[in-house]
Amino acid sequence: MMTPSEEDFELELRSLPGVLSVGVAHRDDGEIEKVTLFVRGQDPEVVRNVALQVASLYYPRAAVAVEDANRAPASSAPDAARVALVRTDFSVHDGVSEVFLGFAGRTGIGRSGSGPLVGGAEATIAALRELGFDVPFFLVAVNAIASVRGWPVMVTLRSLSDSGDRIGIAQAEGELESSARATLDALNRYLSSPGAVGR
Amino acid sequence: MATDETELDGRVYEPWLFLTMLDELANADAGIGFIYSVLDLLAKRYSLTDAVVVLGSDQVGTQAFRLGRRQVDADSLELLDNVDVVVTTPDVVPDVVRDAVRSVCQLSLSLHLARYGAANDPLTNIANRRTFETALETASVQSSRYGWAFTLVLIDLNEFKAVNDTVGHAVGDDLLRTFGYALRRAVRGGDTAARIGGDEFAVILCNAEGPEVASFLERLRSTVVPTGSLISFTVGTATAPRDSTEPAELYRIADARLYEKKGKSKR
Repeated sequence: MMTPSEEDFELELRSLPGVLSVGVAHRDDGEIEKVTLFVRGQDPEVVRNVALQVASLYYPRAAVAVEDANRAPASSAPDAARVALVRTDFSVHDGVSEVFLGFAGRTGIGRSGSGPLVGGAEATIAALRELGFDVPFFLVAVNAIASVRGWPVMVTLRSLSDSGDRIGIAQAEGELESSARATLDALNRYLSSPGAVGR
Repeated sequence: MATDETELDGRVYEPWLFLTMLDELANADAGIGFIYSVLDLLAKRYSLTDAVVVLGSDQVGTQAFRLGRRQVDADSLELLDNVDVVVTTPDVVPDVVRDAVRSVCQLSLSLHLARYGAANDPLTNIANRRTFETALETASVQSSRYGWAFTLVLIDLNEFKAVNDTVGHAVGDDLLRTFGYALRRAVRGGDTAARIGGDEFAVILCNAEGPEVASFLERLRSTVVPTGSLISFTVGTATAPRDSTEPAELYRIADARLYEKKGKSKR
C-alpha cells in the first residue's frame, strides 16, 4: 500500500489538465525516482513544468517525464538512446568538476573549473558535446534556490539562434549533481529531437 | 468450477476475491493505493502479467491505472476513450470479476477525490477554509491549555482584482496557483497553509513567534518574487497566547493588522 502522501502526490498529478495516466518508479530505498505522465490535448512542456513544481513539494529528487499521447510514445525508444547521468566528481585539490554522461553505450566526460554550481552545468554541456551532441545553447544563469526542503538548482540556457530560454530544475545530493541534472532537465526535449546528435 | 467459486443465478462468483477486496476497502483508507492493491490481487489470482483499469470522474477525467504503478503505453492508447474497461493480459478474467474490480476501483477513486476535495482548495491544492478553521481551533485549544505559541498569518494579494480585470481570469488563476505552490514551499512540516477566500490566504505557524514568522515571510518572499512581478502581498499576524487564545479574536486582530498595512501602503 502506498503512503498517504504518495497517494495525494499521484492524485495531484492526475488532476493536472490532460493527464491520462501516471507511472511511478521507485529507488531501492523506496523513494520515488521518476514519475512519467501520459498526457493528451495539452502542451507536454507546460504540463511538465507544473508537474515539476508539484514533485518538488513531495519528492524533490524525483525526475519527471511527460509522454504525449498524440505523438509516438517515448517508451518505444530504447533506454540505450537516452542520455543518463553516470557520475559527478568534484576535486577539492584543483576545484575541477567532472560530469560523466552515458549515451548509447558510450561515456562522455566534461570538466569545468568554475566550482560545483556553475561548473556542473558547464561540465554537463561539455560532456554532451563529447558524446557528439550539437548543443547550440549558452549558459545564462545557475541559481541555487532556497526552499524548505533543500536547495534545488535552476539552470537557464539560451539558444544561440533565438532568444528562447530553456530552464531546468533539479535537486540531488549536492550542488554539482543538482546542477548537472538541472542542465539535462533543461535540454530534455532538445536532446530527444532527431537533429540533436551531430555526429 | 474451482472450489473457491460459487454459482448463483447462472453466474460464477468468487467469494474469496470479493471478500478480500471488500476487506481491504474497509481497512484501507481507500484511495489510489487501493486501486493498485486490487490490480495486485487480480494479477495474483489469475497469474496475470499485466492489468489496466480505466476509470473516470468529473474532477480528473479519464484515468488509466496499470499494475505495479507502471505507465500506460501505446498499447493502452485505444482504451483511454473508454471509462468502462478492465484489461488484463492474458484475457482470462471472468466478466463478473472485471465488473466488480472496476466498480470497487471506481468507488475507491471517488472516495479519494471526495476526501481530498473536502479538505483542499481545488485550484491551489492547499487546505480550504474548513480545514483552516479546524486547524485554527485545534491550535488555539492547545495554546490555551499548554501555553504553546503559534502565529496566525493572514495574507492578501495586492491588486489581484486589477490582474483579473486587465489580463483575464486565466492569468489570475495561474497567479493564485503559483502563490499556492510558493506557500507550500515556504511552510514547515506541521504548519497549515490555506486559501480562505478569492485572493486571501492564511497560514498557521506552529511554535512560532517573531523570528520564526520573519523567516517564514522571508522564505515566502524569496520564493514568490522570482516567479513574476505580478505577485506582491500584504500580511497581518496575530500570535497566541500573547494576543489571544480565541480563534475569532486572533483572526480579528490579524485581519485588522493586515488592513492597517494595506491602508498605509495605499497612502
